[in-house]
Amino acid sequence: MRKVPITLTVNGQPRTVSVWPMERLLDVIREQLALTGTKEGCGEGECGACSILFDGQIANSCLIPALQADGSEITTIEGIGCGEELTAVQRAFVECGGAQCGICTPGMIVAAVALLRQNPEPSEADLRQGLAGNLCRCTGYMRIFEAVRSACKEGRLRQ
Amino acid sequence: MATNTPPHGAFRGFGAPQCIFALERHLDKVAATLGLRPDELRRRNFIAKGHATATGQVIAEEVDMPALLDRALRESDYHAKCERFARENAGRHVKRGVGLASFFHGAGFTGSGEQHLASVVGVEATSEGRVRILVSSTEMGQGTNTILAQIAAQMLEVPYEHVDIAPPDTAQVPNSGPTVASRTCMVVGKLVESAALGLKQTLTGVGLLKEGYSTAEFRHACSAYIARHGSLRSYSQYQAPPGIHWDDEKYQGDAYGTFAWAVYVAEVSVDLLTYEARVEDFVAVQEVGRVIHPVLATGQIEGGVAQAIGYTLYEKVAWENGRMANGQMTNYIIPTSMDIPPIRVIFEERPYPYGPMGAKGIGELPMDGPAPAILNAIENATGLSLVSIPATPETLMTTWEGVHA
Repeated sequence: MRKVPITLTVNGQPRTVSVWPMERLLDVIREQLALTGTKEGCGEGECGACSILFDGQIANSCLIPALQADGSEITTIEGIGCGEELTAVQRAFVECGGAQCGICTPGMIVAAVALLRQNPEPSEADLRQGLAGNLCRCTGYMRIFEAVRSACKEGRLRQ
Repeated sequence: MATNTPPHGAFRGFGAPQCIFALERHLDKVAATLGLRPDELRRRNFIAKGHATATGQVIAEEVDMPALLDRALRESDYHAKCERFARENAGRHVKRGVGLASFFHGAGFTGSGEQHLASVVGVEATSEGRVRILVSSTEMGQGTNTILAQIAAQMLEVPYEHVDIAPPDTAQVPNSGPTVASRTCMVVGKLVESAALGLKQTLTGVGLLKEGYSTAEFRHACSAYIARHGSLRSYSQYQAPPGIHWDDEKYQGDAYGTFAWAVYVAEVSVDLLTYEARVEDFVAVQEVGRVIHPVLATGQIEGGVAQAIGYTLYEKVAWENGRMANGQMTNYIIPTSMDIPPIRVIFEERPYPYGPMGAKGIGELPMDGPAPAILNAIENATGLSLVSIPATPETLMTTWEGVHA
């Protein structure tokens, strides 16, 4: 078995990396691309901590063999907003108490962004459904819902 | 001793959820036997100032459990729902019910625990006027760093942004005790408050600072003091509030300096086709002293209620040959965003004189009440009297078939 070069677009930048064929995309993101904002939770596709946008769709990066990412376009939490440059959803998470221990937070924000791109005015049921693939053990979800609702409201005010 | 289970660890609230589960389930049975409503039985027997607890502690603080109960009943629309569900449940396969639990949780270590720990906290200032809090208490998402910085900023009358928290490395910070027992805000926060006050008194005592000072004056005072003495630091060590006595031999006396008090109401639905129980609505009314940070405090309650809903309905640990057979997220089921009802958190504030700004402990309280409230609601909905958790569909089906065979 040998490593294979793949080319993908990561947060808008073309990148080429050598990967083992069955290496998890999550490990390529964290170790080769050094984008450690994406977290590993369960490693079996249940918790959503490793959520990324894969060709615009939300996906668990722990379940994607790296070879499958050849030619794809991925967005990690760093591509959504980083450091002082936060998006409305991220600012809302800070203000509303949407994060406690923080392990689910990057994936949860990616899921919220994916939801709002598809559906800028989600109902309560849409919101719950949209975040159902991302487990949070600390918050009880209420502050997270409030953060997403608050980001929607800010979006409406800006229009 | 031979055992087939691995060692267990303490989890949020340990001891209290187990006792309160049994007690609050039992009270509903007592009420039914006496022909009283569950809320009425509790109201007639609430603990109050001057009453004694099981350890002989005479409650010295003002407690108003009837007010918490009234608020919880009103916010949850308890009586109207009881009446409506009793009328509507007949002939429906989805049965609805409401249930409540009233309870309290001591903050800080039990008995003489805090005296034995004798925690120490430091607050220091730099010559640039930045304040640094020295504690070994660890931020793990519950908001420790925020509230401790708030307390120090308020005591020293400096902007919140000027306060830093030292890394909880014992080479740098004194031993403020473990991050457990709902003690960080109340016990450690109080020590931060008094250490910060000590720092301020050091500066005013030597005449470098006068009351009503500005941030710039504080900075100049710190700079001048450090130029003269090398460093500016104040420590504070735990002392029990006056009137607290505990007998380690007989395990009697004042178990806690104070308690947080609560009444929770759960509304459930039980589907008799799938035997799934869901929590449809949840009202959590509590008195935790003064609320220092409303968003973080609400998050603590909501998160604790959600964890408790998890262990009440979903989280079954399966043992097999001495191992946990379902130690994966695939088969150990915790609540998702689809499973948690709206959790309505209400605080009644009653400042506690020996907590920082009047605050008490909060972290474990919300783990105590939901399980009995939910099982009381399931009994209210279906008549099924469950004595253990989790109330999985398998348990509900077996119990239903046992009763209706």
